[in-house]
Amino acid sequence: MDKIEAKGLNAWYNSNHAVKNVSLRIKSNQVTAVIGPSGCGKSTLIRCFNRMHELVPGAKVSGKVLLDGEDIYADFIDPVDIRRKVGMVFQKPNPFPTMSIFDNVATGLRLNGIKDKKKVSEMVEKSLKMVALWDQVKDRLNESGASLSGGQQQRLCIARALAVEPEVLLLDEPCSALDPNSTSKIEELIVNLKENYTIVIVTHNMQQAARVSDFTAFMYLGEIIEYGETARIFKYPKEELTERYITGRFG
Amino acid sequence: MARLLDLGMEKLTNMILDMAELSEKAVTTAIQAYTEGKDMRSEVFKWSEELRFLQDEVSELAIELIARYQPVASDLRFIKSSMEITYGLSRFGRYAYDITTVLSMFGDLSKCDHSTIISMADKAKVMIRKSIDAFIKRDLEMARTLSKMDDEVDNMYKEYVKRIIESKGNNLRCSVSATLILRYLERIADHANSIGDKVIYIITGESTPRR
Repeated sequence: MDKIEAKGLNAWYNSNHAVKNVSLRIKSNQVTAVIGPSGCGKSTLIRCFNRMHELVPGAKVSGKVLLDGEDIYADFIDPVDIRRKVGMVFQKPNPFPTMSIFDNVATGLRLNGIKDKKKVSEMVEKSLKMVALWDQVKDRLNESGASLSGGQQQRLCIARALAVEPEVLLLDEPCSALDPNSTSKIEELIVNLKENYTIVIVTHNMQQAARVSDFTAFMYLGEIIEYGETARIFKYPKEELTERYITGRFG
Repeated sequence: MARLLDLGMEKLTNMILDMAELSEKAVTTAIQAYTEGKDMRSEVFKWSEELRFLQDEVSELAIELIARYQPVASDLRFIKSSMEITYGLSRFGRYAYDITTVLSMFGDLSKCDHSTIISMADKAKVMIRKSIDAFIKRDLEMARTLSKMDDEVDNMYKEYVKRIIESKGNNLRCSVSATLILRYLERIADHANSIGDKVIYIITGESTPRR
């Protein structure tokens, strides 16, 4: 089943046409990786999936993005509601520096109107357990989120995104600021999370795409060059450009 | 936490074990069919084809694991060897089928002396089992016993051929059919020995020189 479907999607930054006529179906409860050289439009593409792209001055979008069959760019849709359903984690771990570990995760819940303290505590614990961070932080929930290691901070950010119970998780280069050990922990987490979430990961590390994803889309100059099952893309790419990129002959 | 690669390697191991079971059954059935004078060609052929199909599946999975996870060291040696081991298992199936065709080629062989074939088949079957056990248990010592057993099987084969050439008044039907079957068993033993070599390679990284 498709969770997200892009239909003839275009995105611009002023006159820069960053995403060109992309049509793509993202499958439910699967990990989809978007790979391609720097500046090919992969981050812009996924920012169109939760209406983050339009927050940039001069940004424009055309075409459709359907979430469960419903156009997220329709007039009556509240973008805040979309961003709650489609969470995002960024390249650099960005916990709220002045907040405790607990509050980092709880803030989204409170902003979404959940005031019951017991309920908030339960959901914070559940989210931290999902990212395998609970055991390491349960005795110091009041310490600053910035006191954690880079890998732990990124897991905290993923927990923060999960706390508001999104349906889709967009990960934009989630490991590029992490060491190899933290990277492999996040990769294992991504694979475990797909049981409950649909995940789209942007990565310039194609080995990472090969390891964690079920489907891979290769982008070049704003276009999707090839899209298919990850095993197939990395064993038998159909397009010459894909072959050249994944074998390291360009980019 | 299990590594992502571990899931794939576990699947690879299970496929190899399924092939091991099937190839062992094919050889045992072929020998039994010969001694009991039964035509088991179609069953054994079916298993042999299944083994070939599984071998292709193992190769596909192995290259997928290499492409997706960049395995190194013992992981890489295991994945490379899985392709070679399954080639051996697939050959067991093919030689088992070849053994079943001898009966149809030569007709009734019930009056022939089966003793050499039975004793060589017993040895070959032990070698198959040992090669599989050595793989499952990653047992270096057991893997190393295979080359000595292979020499014994080679000698049995050579001695039989020599005896046939030198003796007079042979029953041609018996001696030619037996020579063929012994040749297939000798090849089976070679492949079992080669599986043992792959097990040694997985454990130590050392390649056994060609003999």
